[in-house]
Amino acid sequence: MFQTIRLAKGVNVHVNETTQFKTINISIKFKDKLSKEKASARSILANVLQHSNEIYPSHTALRMVLDDLYGTSLYMDSSKRGNEHIVSLNVETVNDQYLSESGVLEKVLNLMYLVLFKPNTENGLFKESIFLREKNAVKERIESIFDDKTRYAQQRMMDLALPEHPAAIPANGTIEEVQKISNERLMNEYRTMIETNEVEIYAVGDVKPEAIADYIQDYFHFEDREKASAAPSMELKKPAQQRVAEFEDMKQGKLHMTFFSPVTFRDEKFPVMQLLNGIFGGYAHSKLFVNIREKESMAYYVSSSYASQFGLMFVLAGIDGKLEEKAVRLILQQLEEVKAGNISDVEFEQTKALLINQLKEALDSARGQIDIYDQYMELTEAFEPDYLISRWNRVTKEDIAQAAKDLSLEMVYFLSGKESVANA
Amino acid sequence: MHKVEFEQLDETLYHEKLSNGLEVFILPKKGFSKTFATFTTKYGSIDNHFVPRGAAEPVKVPDGIAHFLEHKMFEKEEGDIFQQFSKQGASANAYTSFTRTAYLFSATGKIDENVETLLDFVQEPYFTEATVEKEKGIIAQEITMYDDQPDWRLYFGIIENMYKNHPVKIDIAGTVESIQDITAEHLYTCYNTFYHPSNMVLFVVGAVDPEGMMKLVKENQSRKTFEEAHEIERIFPDEPVEAAIKERVLEMSVQKPKVFVGIKPEKTDLQGEEMLKHELAAELAFELLFGRTSDFYHEAYEKNWIDESYSFDYSLENGFGYAIIGSDTTEPQILAEEIKKTIAGAVEKWPFGQADLDRMRRKKIGFFLRALNSPEYIANQFTRYTFNGMNLFDVVPALERLEVADLQTAFSTVSRESQQSVFTILSPDKKEAE
Repeated sequence: MFQTIRLAKGVNVHVNETTQFKTINISIKFKDKLSKEKASARSILANVLQHSNEIYPSHTALRMVLDDLYGTSLYMDSSKRGNEHIVSLNVETVNDQYLSESGVLEKVLNLMYLVLFKPNTENGLFKESIFLREKNAVKERIESIFDDKTRYAQQRMMDLALPEHPAAIPANGTIEEVQKISNERLMNEYRTMIETNEVEIYAVGDVKPEAIADYIQDYFHFEDREKASAAPSMELKKPAQQRVAEFEDMKQGKLHMTFFSPVTFRDEKFPVMQLLNGIFGGYAHSKLFVNIREKESMAYYVSSSYASQFGLMFVLAGIDGKLEEKAVRLILQQLEEVKAGNISDVEFEQTKALLINQLKEALDSARGQIDIYDQYMELTEAFEPDYLISRWNRVTKEDIAQAAKDLSLEMVYFLSGKESVANA
Repeated sequence: MHKVEFEQLDETLYHEKLSNGLEVFILPKKGFSKTFATFTTKYGSIDNHFVPRGAAEPVKVPDGIAHFLEHKMFEKEEGDIFQQFSKQGASANAYTSFTRTAYLFSATGKIDENVETLLDFVQEPYFTEATVEKEKGIIAQEITMYDDQPDWRLYFGIIENMYKNHPVKIDIAGTVESIQDITAEHLYTCYNTFYHPSNMVLFVVGAVDPEGMMKLVKENQSRKTFEEAHEIERIFPDEPVEAAIKERVLEMSVQKPKVFVGIKPEKTDLQGEEMLKHELAAELAFELLFGRTSDFYHEAYEKNWIDESYSFDYSLENGFGYAIIGSDTTEPQILAEEIKKTIAGAVEKWPFGQADLDRMRRKKIGFFLRALNSPEYIANQFTRYTFNGMNLFDVVPALERLEVADLQTAFSTVSRESQQSVFTILSPDKKEAE
């Protein structure tokens, strides 16, 4: 799928030359160790860099060039994976063979260079007004989570269950840390990112791998850097509380549960957990969906998810505020079924079929190809779908039952309306 | 089977209208392993007053019924249809909008079986009083979930403000109260009226062989008997051009106030080429006026009136439409006033010329080509265009034909003060503080 060219120590270009898409996608990913402080600083940095630069010193000027380049999309974002924090510069531009104009890709690469290497500065710092504005934007982005009660409940549970663990650190950082970041600190972080972060560059589309690699080599001048020695994964520590109920001004009850699993992404049994999650609550044929939603009519959404980097499994359900006890009981009952090995052939085969389908579908988008390749790079040099499919096919029902037995329920968090207490 | 080549786009579309009236479109995509299919009826939440098939008099049905019917299509006597799709390695889903109900799946294998399943489950209704009752709890939770989402309340709030009589003002899922009145008989009435093949479109896009697929669909349809196609009589109330409510505030616990300015279009009776031209021209005008390169955006951003949640949207259907502009903001009043001022300014003196049009046109062409990477976008949008007598693949030539005057003309129909409305969400505590 991807061809890899090493530009310097710790800097690689991965290109998938394909005519499947009408566009060319490029992502440059900067990887560093995850901490609340880093995540906060780097989220502001992503915003500041994509705002403007030396050559296009206002937001409008930069956006106008992008419009002129056939609405090329260019944005930076902050994400995390395990103990890593990732800042990405993402670009998607039309393959100019569909246009009456040529040379679009070169112009886009040049813009990417400006965004990363010619920031909008004054006196050796980022332009103060932009810095302050973007710092505030990141703070408000974090605050706005409160308006989305599902995300808010999940974040609250993580803060309570695993306060200092990477699993609980939001990719955008925290309000407290964002407020502490100074312009000097940000400039420091910028230099660290450009000069010392591990860099993975991806390109997908009708492009020649050597051409992309040469261009980046010639203009971007990435120098050798050490691969950030992956921080040792932190152990999951039992939360102080097991049941937490909180209240906000809202109508629906949001039930969130955390389970620990000894199995992570790097574990031999990783595919077992993926199947377990699918059978338990990952799909519309899963035990949670069929029993809690379809049989009991208690929820519109009820599902489980597996955070493989940390060995965590979550269950989420939107239910009536008065039905928490019943919902928890029914959810745990379904898990007991899996533990007892009560998995039908149909459930087993459906789950495998959907995992395979999901993977293949994800590979039908350029972003999906980049994400999956980047994620699995650590496990296998040249990712192909069969790498996972053959592993799923080796899993037995007994494996799944055993993995379910190894799960431990660590927290039940329930966020609901103030009224539901009064009525209870 | 007709074959239409769009050389500039490097796409080939296959089309046939079957004898029962069903329109079938197939678009093979090179290099894709997935196939995405939608089976859509031109029936949405606004179709709540109509003459049922075989009846003489019109009926009014409870709010939220199209969406309720969509949920119930998945349940059959022998079980849940999701199970069938899962067995065949497909992810299935459905959605109901103001004007359409779409059933869909995506899969990377067993495409023939999955298309058969899609056609069969939508064409074999099974509703009983018991299954209808059971669904009420699930949908009530869905409605409650949306009730807690301030962005959804904001969106529906502004639409309710704009419309006085038109059913677009009714929430697509109805209310917890309104769905209690729904019966199996209602569902059959709606089903029999709106799910006739002549009111539906099948779109299959991705890793698909057009000849084989068309044959399969035809054989599937020829095995079933349908009544004669007939013109569906839908009844819509008269709707004034003016916004129904000028201003309204909803109290809800939010981090920051939210405000939307809505503008009701004057012309909502367009179809076909005329509609395509008008819609694109209006979209470009709003993009120039409120997009990220606009003077308005620049000022609003610098002065902190808007944040990352800022958005603007323009939408046109047969009978209704809206332009919506707004953001989370600490200054909802100022922002609303500035949006209105910007519109008034453009009405008074049209600020855009050829260079602006050329830039926006390039942007739109790029967006469109990007969207063609997505089978989901193609199937859903193509169906919407077909129901409005337009062709999705005419977008680029239509864009190329636009002139500056077209933008100004289109904009002038979505701009008057009387067509505007403001909807604001404030936290109860914050409201007191003001």
